[in-house]
Amino acid sequence: MSDATTSRETAQPAPDPTPPAPGSVDRGTVLASAAFGALMLVAAVLVIVDAVRLPDTTAVVGPAAVPLPVGVLLGAVGAGLLVDSRLKLRVAVSGPPWQSRAGLRVLALVAALVAFALLLPLLGYVVTATALFVAAALLLGAPRGWQVVAYGWALAATVFLVFDRLIGLTLPAGPWGF
Amino acid sequence: MDQLGLLLEGFAGALTPEHLMWALIGVTIGTAVGVLPGIGPALTVALLLPITFRLEPSSALILFAGIYYGGMYGGSTTSILLNTPGESASMISALEGNKMARAGRAAAALSTAALGSFVAGTIGTVALTFLAPVVADFATGFGPPEYVALMAVAFVTVSALLGPNLLKGVASLLVGVTIGLIGIDSQTGQPRLTFGVDALLDGIDVVIVVVALFALSEAFGHLLTGTGHSTVQPLRERLMLSRSDFRRSWPAWLRGTALGFPIGSLPAGGAEVPTFLSYSVEKKLTRHPEEFGHGAIEGVAGPESANNAAAAGVLVPLLTIGLPTSATAAVILTAFQSYGLQPGPQLFTESGPLVWTLIASLYVGNVMLLVLNLPLARVWARLLQIPAYGIYAGVLVFATLGAFAAGGTTVDLLVLCGLGLLGLLMRQAGVPVAPAVVGLILGPIAEQQLRRALTLSEGDPSILVSSPITVFLWVVVALALLIPVVLPVARKRRRALVNVGDGEES
Repeated sequence: MSDATTSRETAQPAPDPTPPAPGSVDRGTVLASAAFGALMLVAAVLVIVDAVRLPDTTAVVGPAAVPLPVGVLLGAVGAGLLVDSRLKLRVAVSGPPWQSRAGLRVLALVAALVAFALLLPLLGYVVTATALFVAAALLLGAPRGWQVVAYGWALAATVFLVFDRLIGLTLPAGPWGF
Repeated sequence: MDQLGLLLEGFAGALTPEHLMWALIGVTIGTAVGVLPGIGPALTVALLLPITFRLEPSSALILFAGIYYGGMYGGSTTSILLNTPGESASMISALEGNKMARAGRAAAALSTAALGSFVAGTIGTVALTFLAPVVADFATGFGPPEYVALMAVAFVTVSALLGPNLLKGVASLLVGVTIGLIGIDSQTGQPRLTFGVDALLDGIDVVIVVVALFALSEAFGHLLTGTGHSTVQPLRERLMLSRSDFRRSWPAWLRGTALGFPIGSLPAGGAEVPTFLSYSVEKKLTRHPEEFGHGAIEGVAGPESANNAAAAGVLVPLLTIGLPTSATAAVILTAFQSYGLQPGPQLFTESGPLVWTLIASLYVGNVMLLVLNLPLARVWARLLQIPAYGIYAGVLVFATLGAFAAGGTTVDLLVLCGLGLLGLLMRQAGVPVAPAVVGLILGPIAEQQLRRALTLSEGDPSILVSSPITVFLWVVVALALLIPVVLPVARKRRRALVNVGDGEES
């Protein structure tokens, strides 16, 4: 790894006038920081609006005493992250690329989790948890085949036996009892 | 020597078959999750919280303490054999440890890590035994203003130390505090940040937040970047330390412990700092400087001991003041609360037998961990052969199980999913998630103390700086906030001055 950095001196004329510093920033990280900062600004507005609408109480320190400064801080730090990202965006370099259809994979996993949440009371724990395992494993790049289903089934069944039957945590059973 | 008598009684409680079994289960689970990359002790304790609420408090707390200590041992196995630390404080031992493993000295590296962890863990627990009652005694005089100031210190140092920079640390902390505000305000009964959703009236369960931020964000992150290929270094021999390795290791163990415990026990943020310090100390003191960077055994022995000693140290502010300074400690604080126990000075007076049983079980756990890790190291190493997709898919199954057990409704699972996406954004932005967990758990306590203090003074904020201790703590807060801002500026100015000086000379 370190060899690459030492051999760079002889290589290409730098395309950017400011060469990436040793702690150079990744473009993706900078953009994500900006998005996170923006999200904090939105949250700041929500927190402040919510705190202002709280009714006055007889207590010396009302329910809005803490949310108000928290909202202001959220806004300040969010703005700070936005400014910081704006400054860093100029010197940012592209980081390691994402794998193919990365965004789609995340969406698919979200869909799998939502489906799990909705189907769990209907189909029971073992079937839905097996399906979740298989979906997640395939999205993470597991080789296709019955093996993955077998692993998932074994895990879900073990969890059901240990936590439902042994410990007494009631898991949804589904029409077939597991 | 009051403590010795109490500790002996604690041992009497810890050495019952039932408690021994829970300690063994705890350290075994702890080692396993420490070994597996992507699962840490904080996540594991959070997942087990809703499942263990039927247990006796002492059994559950012994189980969690075992997981806490075990996670530290297991983390070193992963960082040495795989070079992806399972747990962030083990990052440093990956530097030298993985180099040693590549040079075929995996057994020596694992031995020194395990023995060092044992030595440091035991010395740290002894120190905890004698220091904790003293601190608890001192803290009995604390009122709400002191607690507010202490929590401010913890907030600032946790934000500054558990992440890449202060701004991102504070951002993470605020996320946690904001989530902690959701729900009915306990003092006035007003719903806050619920936006008319009934399911939010009780707030969002700590378990769901921790699971989403640690487990889901990790799984989502691997969907973006792919799971990658990592090579596991083989472990062929039995774990043994040669005479020369032992001679080089033991001073490093002791130095690591001496750094780790005091820093860990300050109300100021976790195990990362002492491990870094220990590494640089060993690098300076070594008689084999040429080996550093290529697998020097001191570079494993020192940081590993510092890590474990700090883990014991973190328990001092947690048990005596109720102040968690790491994500795992924060989750353990939640565990105490779920049994109606509030860590703090009163814990030692009101639940003395429980505390001493817990401390005694830490000694027992350390011995168990040494036995589990030295002869059985190859079994743990085999866990690393599980493919990454299997680990993360399995983590998701357990994550949804924990979230379901905590809330039991479909809405909880949807909240879990949404917070997981938030965690993914944080991860991508380089925002650490540990301060969020500390903020989530400490935020409501801090708010309660603040309002209690202001109610006492009828709204006069000067009560917050009414005693020498509070003034001192607020100065610490100010310094911790200013130093990261001032230092780089000063350094830059000095560099600029030097450059100007150079320019004039030439």
